[in-house]
Amino acid sequence: MSHLFDHHGAENTGYSQPQGLPTKGQATVPKGLIRKNQARWPRLSEPEMVRHYTWLSKRNFGIDTGFYPLGSCTMKHNPRVNEVIAQLPGIADIHPHLPEHHLQGLLSIYYEMQHMLEICAGMDQVTLQPVAGAQGEFTAVRCIQEYFRLRGEDQRTKVIVPDSAHGTNPASAAMAGFEIVEIPSREDGRIDLDALAAVADETTAAMMITNPNTLGLFEADISAASAIVHAAGGQMYYDGANFNAILGITSPGLMGFDAVHFNLHKTFSQPHGGGGPGSGPIGVKAHLAPFLPGPLAARRTPTAEERSQAVDEHWYHWLEPEHSIGKVQQWHGNAGAVIRCWAYYRRYGNGLTTMSEHAVLNANYLRHAIHREAKRIGVDHLFIDGAETDIAKHEFTLSMQPAKDALGISAMDVAKGLLDRGYMAPTVYFPLVVPECMMIEPTETESKDTLDTFAKHFVEVLTVDPEVLHQAPITTPVRRVDEVYAARNLCLRHPFDDA
Amino acid sequence: MVDQLPNRGRELEMLQEMGFESMEALFADIPAEVRFKGDLPLPGPQSEEEIISDARRLLGANLALGQRPSFLGAGLYRNYVPASVFQLVTRGEFLTAYTPYQPEVSQGMLQAMWEFQTLVSELVGLPIANLSLYDGSTAAAEALTCAVRVHNRKASQPNTVYISSLTPPDKRSVMFNYCQGAEIEIRTIDHLADGSLDLESLAEAAGSCGVYLEQPNPLGVLDENLVRVKEIIGEHTALIVGVQPVSLGVVEAPGHYGADIVVGEGQPLGSPVTGGGPLYGIFACSQPYLRLMPGRIVGRSVDVDGNEAYCLTLSTREQHIRRHRATSNICTNETLIALMGAMHMALLGPDGLRVLAERNLQACQAAKEALQATPGVTLVHDAAHFNEFAIAVPGTAASCLAFLDANGITGGFDLSRWYPEHDDRILVTTTDQTSSADIAALAAQLALWSTHQEVNA
Repeated sequence: MSHLFDHHGAENTGYSQPQGLPTKGQATVPKGLIRKNQARWPRLSEPEMVRHYTWLSKRNFGIDTGFYPLGSCTMKHNPRVNEVIAQLPGIADIHPHLPEHHLQGLLSIYYEMQHMLEICAGMDQVTLQPVAGAQGEFTAVRCIQEYFRLRGEDQRTKVIVPDSAHGTNPASAAMAGFEIVEIPSREDGRIDLDALAAVADETTAAMMITNPNTLGLFEADISAASAIVHAAGGQMYYDGANFNAILGITSPGLMGFDAVHFNLHKTFSQPHGGGGPGSGPIGVKAHLAPFLPGPLAARRTPTAEERSQAVDEHWYHWLEPEHSIGKVQQWHGNAGAVIRCWAYYRRYGNGLTTMSEHAVLNANYLRHAIHREAKRIGVDHLFIDGAETDIAKHEFTLSMQPAKDALGISAMDVAKGLLDRGYMAPTVYFPLVVPECMMIEPTETESKDTLDTFAKHFVEVLTVDPEVLHQAPITTPVRRVDEVYAARNLCLRHPFDDA
Repeated sequence: MVDQLPNRGRELEMLQEMGFESMEALFADIPAEVRFKGDLPLPGPQSEEEIISDARRLLGANLALGQRPSFLGAGLYRNYVPASVFQLVTRGEFLTAYTPYQPEVSQGMLQAMWEFQTLVSELVGLPIANLSLYDGSTAAAEALTCAVRVHNRKASQPNTVYISSLTPPDKRSVMFNYCQGAEIEIRTIDHLADGSLDLESLAEAAGSCGVYLEQPNPLGVLDENLVRVKEIIGEHTALIVGVQPVSLGVVEAPGHYGADIVVGEGQPLGSPVTGGGPLYGIFACSQPYLRLMPGRIVGRSVDVDGNEAYCLTLSTREQHIRRHRATSNICTNETLIALMGAMHMALLGPDGLRVLAERNLQACQAAKEALQATPGVTLVHDAAHFNEFAIAVPGTAASCLAFLDANGITGGFDLSRWYPEHDDRILVTTTDQTSSADIAALAAQLALWSTHQEVNA
């Protein structure tokens, strides 16, 4: 083990820095504010610090380490040129309050990204300000809220979500002050139009739904669902978590949605970074555009004076929407993430359709290969599809309930068995509508060979003696972690000696 | 494009094995009426070489702060991030991992975040820290809603919080958006002419759910009055202090003068300014706030063999379990940037942090001395400052900044964007990256500006 707080170098040996600037008087802190006790931080030399974090990195699994079929998270390869670009001083060392003539490059990239996302989503206006998918959801429902307030429809206080929705949907709507109405999915995992029609009324502000849904199925009734909500006077909100499946094939706009968020860290490959940063732009139809957070990137013809500083034939500038809800982040969103995703988009351009096709191809192929391998070795009775369908979109679900009933093997056991075979586990126990659910999303950046080998290993796990499998994982840096112990014996920081 | 798709050229083989003849068969479930017609109206794909070439050209058209003397801060602070931080944080095991839902293969990031929690906890003087929120503004906003959740039942002013009247409008706007859903009213507390908090105005906040103040305040003033706030507002009103974390190398930790929640923009520790994001929001609190706080938190535990192991804990507050009753909707946070912060803190150590803070103090002092001696320029507040201070200039701030800009200096922030009642004030920001030559150039140009104004007057 390597522990950061075990490093106790001698005092005043820390990181070497230049001398401070000479001053005539003394630079002081008011007497009552002088820090009395230093933070008990460790003292490390650079070699010790580098070794500690390298050691930690070796105890962590990323896409670079191996296949990462984590459903709903779109763990595709992160091209390294994006990291190189994000460290250029023209993004790393710029301030969002610089005058527009010093930010023409950033503004033009923002404009290009807004425009691209508007086209892909079938929306009229995009803002890049929200910094995560959940914040995008929150921002969009806030816009919808203000839209209705301005129209005098204050009675629209409810947001409808299917029971298979991501947890962020109800959490975001509740944070904006909406009451949540949850509707059950049909037996086959798809939206229940009767249940929707029963709750959509003059109190409905919006319905939030993702399509393909969390089972990886395309909701063919989506236009009908939109019609029901619109007839009741509500707005349709598209959760873009599963956008990787449909780029260039269909769009939320074509499906009748009024607002959408994008998870750029999923679809456009901003690295997930162990939990962030992300970027969660939203797009809206024209009637919601005046409510978007500001500023947006806009453009016009440059003046003669501006022409010399322009990056192309346009002059780019910030624009404040007329009835803007204000800000959801203090600056212009996660600009560094937007730049990385711009670089990713440029790699595909109008070939984004091919990207989605390959994502769907890989998901269907992996589903096929798992069933094929299961039949080959005779374990096909131990799991079933999470939802009956001929084709999936970018992800699919399996229910391990038969294995649980027959052998006592849970979805979690299978997940841990996969860790021992060098894979990240699929998402487990989500969506809740599938018992013993495993949600698998291979993404377009995995080869056929990887998918074939994973399928073999997946079914092989089901042949392991259940008693042995309950012990998995055994090859990982630690074995099964006791989460109950963690919650009952809270230790949220280094205890030091005195605590 | 092709270099990102390993199965390019093998599509038909894979489709036929599944019993399909075309890619189209995989999309047969999408009704024709919602299908795109034709190709996406976008330019064609580019190679890596073309992309980086365009990136260099476009980003090169932006003005990097380091290209010339720059005094623009106002919440973001140009710093030096040690080379080892970049080298380590781009290791693929950190960079390309998801949220650590499978702790057995995520021990590296989990332990690093547990260490981050400890570093922040020690820095601000409170026992608990989460593993980051989006930025300083959302951390402040979430602190307000958290304070209401904790104190609303006993508050004589329920659903009410108070913030400093100096809080920048953009940050207030974030606060409003986060608070309005819970019908929380945000009121303001005034400041005196010297920039310090008006303790009489503060008295009105007693009995509310929380009070949000910054140290240093948004105009860079180090305010001794903050140490008296907790006794005035009492134990049933949360004291929330927003900090510039580097300052805590020399300035008392708010947890040591009664703060219940400390938030702040983490950027100056570990992250470049990056056009305003990604950054990371610091959020630390005392025990009573733990179970109603937002965001993820790592706990130390054991594995089945009794070995030390780490995992996410107290998840029942979070959206994926609690759904609409969650304490926050946050899911993706800023872990990687927080990791950069942890690395920078680890490398600095307590002495390195003190030295870094002293350098910031010295740069600020040097700039104040130079501008105090500059004809036409006055310092607005006679006070101690950290990083930045407000000056008044002849003419308008906007025209003065345009003059400086035309003469090769990014002069600071036009304070009329925050406080429209004064159109002649500039917030001048210095950091450890400010040089004596930068300050001399600013003073010389400001002197020139003052002369021009006199001549024109």
